[in-house]
Amino acid sequence: MSQRTTPRRLLAAAAATGLILSACTAVDEDPDTDDEAIAAEEPDAPADDEPSDEDTTDSSDSTDDAEDTEDPAAGGDITTGDGVTEEACPEAVNPDNGCIYLGVLSDLTEGPFAALAVPITDAQRAYWAQVNEAGGIAGFDVDIDTYTRDTKYQPAEHAAAYQQIEPNILAIAQSLGTVNTESVLSDMDANDIVAVPASWWSGYAFSENDHGLIMETGYSYCVEAMVGLDWYGESHGEITSIAAVGYPGDYGGDSAAGAQLWAEQNGVDDVTVIPTGPNQVTGGQDAVVSAVMAAQPDVVLLAVGPAENAEIVGKLAGGGFTGRFLGSLPTWNPALLESAAAPALVGLYNHLAPTEQWDGTSAGTEAMKASLDGELPANGGYIIGWVMNYPMHALLEKAADSGDLTRAGVRAAMDGLEVDFDGMAEAITYGGEGAEVAVSGLIVGTPNAEAPLGIETTNEFFSGPSFEAIGYDQACSASS
Amino acid sequence: MATVASTLLAGLGDGAVYALIAVSFVIIFRATGVLNFAQPGLLILGTYVTSVLAVDRGVPFWVAAVIAVLVVAAISMGIERVAIRPMIGRPVFSTALVTVGIFIVLLILAFRLFAARARTIADPWQLEQWCLVQGETLCAVSLYQHHAGKIAVVAVVLGLLGVWLSRSRVGLAMRATSLDQEAALAQGINVGRMFSLSWALGGGLAALGGILLAANGSVVQANDALFALVALPALILGGIDSLRGAVVGGLVIGLVSALSSTYQPIHAPWLGPNFENVAPYLVMILVLLIRPYGLFGTKEVQRL
Repeated sequence: MSQRTTPRRLLAAAAATGLILSACTAVDEDPDTDDEAIAAEEPDAPADDEPSDEDTTDSSDSTDDAEDTEDPAAGGDITTGDGVTEEACPEAVNPDNGCIYLGVLSDLTEGPFAALAVPITDAQRAYWAQVNEAGGIAGFDVDIDTYTRDTKYQPAEHAAAYQQIEPNILAIAQSLGTVNTESVLSDMDANDIVAVPASWWSGYAFSENDHGLIMETGYSYCVEAMVGLDWYGESHGEITSIAAVGYPGDYGGDSAAGAQLWAEQNGVDDVTVIPTGPNQVTGGQDAVVSAVMAAQPDVVLLAVGPAENAEIVGKLAGGGFTGRFLGSLPTWNPALLESAAAPALVGLYNHLAPTEQWDGTSAGTEAMKASLDGELPANGGYIIGWVMNYPMHALLEKAADSGDLTRAGVRAAMDGLEVDFDGMAEAITYGGEGAEVAVSGLIVGTPNAEAPLGIETTNEFFSGPSFEAIGYDQACSASS
Repeated sequence: MATVASTLLAGLGDGAVYALIAVSFVIIFRATGVLNFAQPGLLILGTYVTSVLAVDRGVPFWVAAVIAVLVVAAISMGIERVAIRPMIGRPVFSTALVTVGIFIVLLILAFRLFAARARTIADPWQLEQWCLVQGETLCAVSLYQHHAGKIAVVAVVLGLLGVWLSRSRVGLAMRATSLDQEAALAQGINVGRMFSLSWALGGGLAALGGILLAANGSVVQANDALFALVALPALILGGIDSLRGAVVGGLVIGLVSALSSTYQPIHAPWLGPNFENVAPYLVMILVLLIRPYGLFGTKEVQRL
């Protein structure tokens, strides 16, 4: 008799958990600001230095300071600390080199962004393998495998994984998700751990949010909306009404905030913000379709996933909607061209990205393509992952050049660090505040079944007037 | 009025899928007393097999769908035999936790199979729609064929299932097993076989739910498996051990979600974005306050 009570309790607990998770999709507006300018400096190409050592202490609170008291054979006159060892990396390319350990906190198995995060991580592994094959950095190989952890895109898992790997890493090569990254930012601050995020929240441009530890690549979703609307105005005529469809929070919320700022700047009153969720939660996008159809905007900004993108564009086009669509970076997947929405996407949709796509021609893009020997990755996550390595690579080189590969030394090297991404993305000078560190170069693509990964670049590094006119003195939206 | 009609039709389409998935939970629960948290994994495997057959191999959609349901039913039966049968006699809570583990394994397997690709399933409805009421320039009330298709498929499948459970000898044996395993055993019913059959049925229905979920003209990815968990409020609302309750609960949840997603942003924006994801749980809680065992659930009798 009581056998059936337990499952009911279990089910009630699961339902309550679902309720809490659903409720957590709410978003508040909470912009902040501050500014602080810092000078720029050009990093050098990797250099193999003569081995030596100099003991050091760093500002880390970690208790695992064994390396600090050792004499690294590799690395020349470089002070080292946690996350850097005299011993070679596991399965080292250069057995005589020391090892720099970088952490990766990503969504690698069952979380909502695993489809994107796996190729991101694959690209990072390929990039650092090439660096190691070229001799490494100042006598050190770079290992990003040993401390790669699957966080399932959950802040609690992310925080736990961070605590687990923190004593043994120098920095974080990938921290996926704004909320996840924020969950450990204060610890990162205490430990002097810098990170490259796999997220594009506007708040990362301000040190009051990121403690000066986050090295973003490309623009934020907020800036993307502003510049995307500028591009639309130039390419398709005057905008009188906008709909911003997206997931609340650091993605769709940031994009919608950018659209509202753009509209304010350009005297457009008709802005409809339509929050939604992924199909696995909402079951479908019919409500979005109805809302857009009722609003009849000139242009719809989409900050959703690929499945939602195809459903919204396909159903609206089928219903006679005549406006166009601008889709944020994660809205695309090559498989969309196999869906019923393909004709609508080809005709009405443009993809926005902060980096060159697979058909790009820069030195960085060519190197990326070469890493796969001409094969195509599963999706554009590989491009994201490749680009993300440039700032960390430049940072480690700069820190090594200055003779300080401790965490504190690496953190200090961020000030004024200039990274050019080998032409794949607009150059960034790190260490500044707001517009000083933010970039706005927009790559516009059009779906094309003949193009690699289904996107043909139609405009490279477009930069409109609104971003500069609006200014960038605070985060556009709250992160959650 | 046009918006109400469109919203109700969409809600019924989604609700039909919720109902199907809720029934898949109930079938297993009634026979074995186990709430199978692995259903999301079985759901997405159904989608994957259909996609491979229909898109990669060019098998006609309906043939691919039937094969996928059978394959997943066989996998589900295998899971029961290997991982659940040994748990007989152990606390139900332990068995439920085993299904959570199986869910994680299946989900990781699904991610490996999808390999970061989005997939389509070549369903016959795609994005086609019927215009039910023509407006001045655009269609005022439309019905997407995939919504109509989902409602029809679910109605046929659940109707046949109901007849089979009530009229066939095997169906009768399954019902007897769900009522009293020892009495069923005494009557010569092979209870173990009934367990296997219920898991096969539950898995097959979950697979069909995954196929219908993906039939929306768009693409589907591995993490869409979690859609099955949206059926939990439907399950509780209707009564965890009631097939009729699962159907009613699914439809109610589909309608509540659709209506709240359409009207809440207009009439109650202060509730915040994506309130439609919360609304089913609120309805569920309200119903449980009045009827703790759900609309059609069996009331427990406890001897003190």
